[in-house]
Amino acid sequence: MSSLLQQLLNGLSLGSAYALIAVGYSLVYSILLFSNFAHGGFLVIGGYICYYSLTKMGLGLLPAALLSLAGAGMSAVLTERIAYRPIRRRGALTLYLLIASMGMSIVIENFWVIAVGGRFRAIPPVIPTSPISVFGTTVSSFDLIVLAVALSLLLGLELFLRRTRWGLAIRASSYDVRTAALMGVDTDRLVAIVFFVAGALASVSGIFLAVRYTLYPQLGFITIKAFVAAVVGGLGSLPGAVLGSYLLGVLEMLVAGFISSQVRDIVVFLLLVVTLLVRPQGLLGRRLEEKV
Amino acid sequence: MSWEYLQGVLVLFLVNSIAAMGVSLLTGFTGVFTLGHAAYMSIGAYALAIGMGRYELPWPIALLLAGVLASLVAYLVGVPTLRLVGDYFAIASIGLGETVRLLVENWQSLTRGARGYPGIEPFADLWVVGGIALAMGLAMFNLTRSRFGRAFKACRDDPLAASTMGVDTTSMRIVSLVVSAFYCGVAGALFASFMTYVQPAMFDLSKSTELTAVVVFGGLGSMSGTILAAAVITLVVEAFRGLAQYRMLIYGLVLVTTMVLRPEGIMGEKEIWHLLRGRRG
Amino acid sequence: MWLSILLLSLLAGQACAETVVKIGYLAGLTGDLAAYGQAEVNGAKLAVEEINAKGLIPGVKVELVPYDFRSKPEDAVIAVRKMIEQDKVVAIVGANVSAANIATAPLVNKAGVIQIGTATTNPLVTVDEKGQTRPYSFRMAFIDPYQGKVIAHYLFKKLGVKRAAVLYDVASDYSQGLRQFFTEEFKKLGGEVVADLGFRGGVDVDFRAQLTEIAKANPQAVMLPNIGKDLALAVKQARELGMKDTIFMGGDGYGEFMWEIAGPALEGTYWVTHVAFDDPEIQPLFARYREVFKDEPKEYGNIVLAYDAVMLLAQAMKEAGSTEPAKIKEAMEKGTFKLLHATIKFDEQHNPKDKDAVIILCKDGAGRFHERFRPVD
Repeated sequence: MSSLLQQLLNGLSLGSAYALIAVGYSLVYSILLFSNFAHGGFLVIGGYICYYSLTKMGLGLLPAALLSLAGAGMSAVLTERIAYRPIRRRGALTLYLLIASMGMSIVIENFWVIAVGGRFRAIPPVIPTSPISVFGTTVSSFDLIVLAVALSLLLGLELFLRRTRWGLAIRASSYDVRTAALMGVDTDRLVAIVFFVAGALASVSGIFLAVRYTLYPQLGFITIKAFVAAVVGGLGSLPGAVLGSYLLGVLEMLVAGFISSQVRDIVVFLLLVVTLLVRPQGLLGRRLEEKV
Repeated sequence: MSWEYLQGVLVLFLVNSIAAMGVSLLTGFTGVFTLGHAAYMSIGAYALAIGMGRYELPWPIALLLAGVLASLVAYLVGVPTLRLVGDYFAIASIGLGETVRLLVENWQSLTRGARGYPGIEPFADLWVVGGIALAMGLAMFNLTRSRFGRAFKACRDDPLAASTMGVDTTSMRIVSLVVSAFYCGVAGALFASFMTYVQPAMFDLSKSTELTAVVVFGGLGSMSGTILAAAVITLVVEAFRGLAQYRMLIYGLVLVTTMVLRPEGIMGEKEIWHLLRGRRG
Repeated sequence: MWLSILLLSLLAGQACAETVVKIGYLAGLTGDLAAYGQAEVNGAKLAVEEINAKGLIPGVKVELVPYDFRSKPEDAVIAVRKMIEQDKVVAIVGANVSAANIATAPLVNKAGVIQIGTATTNPLVTVDEKGQTRPYSFRMAFIDPYQGKVIAHYLFKKLGVKRAAVLYDVASDYSQGLRQFFTEEFKKLGGEVVADLGFRGGVDVDFRAQLTEIAKANPQAVMLPNIGKDLALAVKQARELGMKDTIFMGGDGYGEFMWEIAGPALEGTYWVTHVAFDDPEIQPLFARYREVFKDEPKEYGNIVLAYDAVMLLAQAMKEAGSTEPAKIKEAMEKGTFKLLHATIKFDEQHNPKDKDAVIILCKDGAGRFHERFRPVD
């Protein structure tokens, strides 16, 4: 029984990492209606900024983290400005945006490979990983911290969306960007803010992942799982992204532990396919209707 | 520049072209973004390896089997997923790529898993591959100029309008996917023969990305553009072996800059003979 | 001033009426294993420098022609074709990845050019799928079956382990091979494999699910037939899950950089390798490496294997009295070669015969030479 609890807690920790990524990704999707494949890149950028802040600049954890968030957020805004805005302006097909985002993801990953080498770097253990006893099983204090931070950030995001003007603008635009623009929303500014938030959240996940495992340019690969989580939860729905993430995290750990890790990946993608077949809008998403 | 070495590069270019033509049909002409077509190459490669190795099939039959098997899998995958909006399919295609790799790695009694399958007969020399590439190229050109081709383009440009005009967009997409998988399957099989050894790791996400980059660079909607791009990229990669470090970075930049600066790619939607014909009246 | 330099070089050119022989180097300079590939080429360069400076092969100067195969077998095939046809090399050193050598084996054997793999441990590198030795394929390292046997014997006989678990990489041919040979041998000795779980290398970084199940089976040791980063993460996570007293042992995938990732978790772990870092014979080479490349010889195993491979070719050329691949090959098959890290004699399958494995024990922040070991039946 304790093994089950252990796997559950493992799953919640993993789910938190996914949630921070999936939420940003879903946010972008809800406004621009396209999947930003470069999202994983912001995660990696956050990780590297944190690493260099801690080691080369000797900053403490909090300043380093804030720097990473800001840096990743800015990169996200920059990516949007350079790669996506020109295509959006032209009113081009979503296909073009997808391709460009794929390209950006490769550029970011390989930029790091060339700039700092493929070597694995360890972030200094600034976040404690000492085991704590919870309900009879050992859990790393790290996992609890991740869970706490993730939930607070998500709560913060929710407050931002519900209580601020920009939050209102974002929610309005997620229904219909054009109408929101007609109502006076500065679309370009809005998109920049959305990207900033998405990038910042992803970088938090990046820092956690880098500390937990190790830092390397391909760390962004995990984003594919977060994409699946977002789709399962419902593309465009933030609560859906969160729900999907935790579900996926727990599912992965349970399958890997009790069946096998090879089967785990197959199960993940099967979940995706089943969702797309049976309920393509995901658990909490809206049914997308195309208007003529 | 020795002939043997040049032969090798040419064979690789031709194999890439066949696969790229398949992806071009699906992405360029039908507007379906795929990131998992290396999976079909993998299926084709292993079908050939196992067909010739275990079942001692003669290579033309094994080659056909490779294409057919890939098409079959594509059909099974396509029917449920092609109903959906672009992004979903793209993610699902990544999923497919990974799943095929997983299956190959784990079904060790059949595929020898990650250890790879050695001893494949190298029938794929320049003449064989050249002949097949030519035949398949001609077939593709005919397809794109037929009513199928027009239907595909309609699905890409405005699926809603197309369906109101009576085009069954889902069926057309499925046809496009099945054909593209056939091409990738054959390409994968020829690749396997050229290498005489295959490993699941040879058909990964970066291979799928290469194919998409070639199609985008050549021009979404131009088959000759695709082949031109395949030639340019294969030759540039070979000529600048020293730049190998930067190869992936260059692919990424190609994708982004093409989309931002010149989304039509090299050829736009024109084929080479349109240019040669010049302007009339 | 320029005139005198020109004159001098002309004179020097006249003096060097020697044959230049080219040795190709197949290295993964980019891709996942870039660090190892770069180190190997550097090691080879040091060897070539020494050969030419000391005139180790009378009347012959060696030129190294390195090529990057991007850690991908298809690029290895193209690179090797170029080396053979365009550069007309007499021998190729590398790669360190078995898949590359398996793919290029038909090519080198058809062209009659020697290929000597460094850390390639898959049996298929020197022997084809029908069991016949490939005439021109050789290797410096012992093979996976041997490595698996070493680990099994060491754990069972030396460390008294009767119950072992295995955590392997499904996506790696190296890992699968090592796992298979270890498991077979361990069971033959009378040991029990209590858990045997896999993960996907290159994708998975979290092994806690598998390790939790392994911990439940209560093994005395966990065998890790993996490479670098995966090894470090597995050991680190295992310790975090409470596996403090479990023995961890693995093969030649160990690298000093693992300490950066796993830190003190690595203390007390055992690894099989080809070269001992604190071997006094090798220190001069490392000193020269630091001097020439201004960098720490971190992937020391690969550096030494590369250096020794080139030296072996030089010795064989000298013995054969010829730079023709066929004659060099004969000399390689017959001779005994005293190298920096070991004395090598090839057996019928062109693998080093009865080579001692070096066992490393991680202590006080580094992998230290523990002992040489050879499994006895």
